[in-house]
Amino acid sequence: MNSHKTNGGHGLFSLKADTLVAQFATGLLVGLILVTGLPSDTASAQTESTDIPDLTGIWDGGTRARPINGENMPWEPSNFPVLNERALAYQQVWEEIIAPKYDCQPASSPAIQYDPYHMEVTQWPDRVLFRYEKDDQLRTVWLDGREPKATDFGVQGFSVGHYDGDALEVVTTHFVFDVAGFDDYNGIPSSSQKVVRERYWRDGDDLWITLTVEDPMFLREPASYTTRWIPARAGYKLASYDCDAESSRAMVKFFPSKYK
Amino acid sequence: MIMRRTFLPSLLLLLYGLLGTALPLSAHHASGPFYDSDKPIEIEGVVTRFVFRNPHAALFLDVTDESGETAEWQIELGAPVMLRRVGWTPDLLPVGMVVRVAGPSARAEGAKGLLGRKLTRADGSPILEGGRTQEPTPPR
Repeated sequence: MNSHKTNGGHGLFSLKADTLVAQFATGLLVGLILVTGLPSDTASAQTESTDIPDLTGIWDGGTRARPINGENMPWEPSNFPVLNERALAYQQVWEEIIAPKYDCQPASSPAIQYDPYHMEVTQWPDRVLFRYEKDDQLRTVWLDGREPKATDFGVQGFSVGHYDGDALEVVTTHFVFDVAGFDDYNGIPSSSQKVVRERYWRDGDDLWITLTVEDPMFLREPASYTTRWIPARAGYKLASYDCDAESSRAMVKFFPSKYK
Repeated sequence: MIMRRTFLPSLLLLLYGLLGTALPLSAHHASGPFYDSDKPIEIEGVVTRFVFRNPHAALFLDVTDESGETAEWQIELGAPVMLRRVGWTPDLLPVGMVVRVAGPSARAEGAKGLLGRKLTRADGSPILEGGRTQEPTPPR
């Protein structure tokens, strides 16, 4: 923490007077901090510290990094959510083509983190930005202590976070109801009661996440998965997704619906 | 033009696909609700339209069957955001080009469609010469 330098090993008496004064003042300040604690604006100062995990970069969540998503991924038998009767009832009437993604509605948590595309993380002092190649989505995780207002409901919800040692912790609430909001491969909806907790950390070159979902409207208990991204290839830039409604819905006519 | 329903075992189709231009997955939706992997099909036709848009590209072919009737077929392909990484462009399949496509057939009764798993030129040569078609997955 104390990084000021002496003059090449000539000892205390070789220092100039102004340097001595500066060192005395610095020492006094450090002493005061040790005795009285950090200044009152610690919360905002946390993100100005260099002592936070470096999550910045473009990350590859494709098949180089992990198995592709599907009915059994990332929700495998071992971590498949315990559904309540309401969720099971929804599954009974579920048909693939009701998923709003066929009209280009963007994926949201917990699906968008596992979609096999790239994302970019940008760390600013008061926020962390997650830019997803899939569906051109941008999530903002606020680090400045602000709280959501009643008007902050949305597809991506409202996210707040803080650094916890070598990790970034994120909590997201204020999701809108989504008939495929938990998992569209298994027809599990999510409600405005959904809470998504994310913990991001680095392991070597990789970026890892443990994501946990709570939703008392549909889940009997929280459900969780852990996965990783790997660094994007050198020079990779996120491409625009620019979902096309006609292309998105083109194959719906191939689905043999049970409803007329 | 020819149209053949070749109800080959899925494994055989997969191996066949590996020899040609095996296409990246859509990664947008499950294929099972729309396509029947137990009913693979191979068609040959003339490109009438190639829509290179996310979330999945679509290829439209005029296909003539044994009786001489011509009909439009719709082939679902991968996501352009992924296809671009392996060399695909919107100009890769121009109108008038003759191609062969193989993959699971559409489930809806009477539907003329399939999920493109393997795509070649009329002579069976790859659409992309020497290009890689899938990014490798490192062991973990």
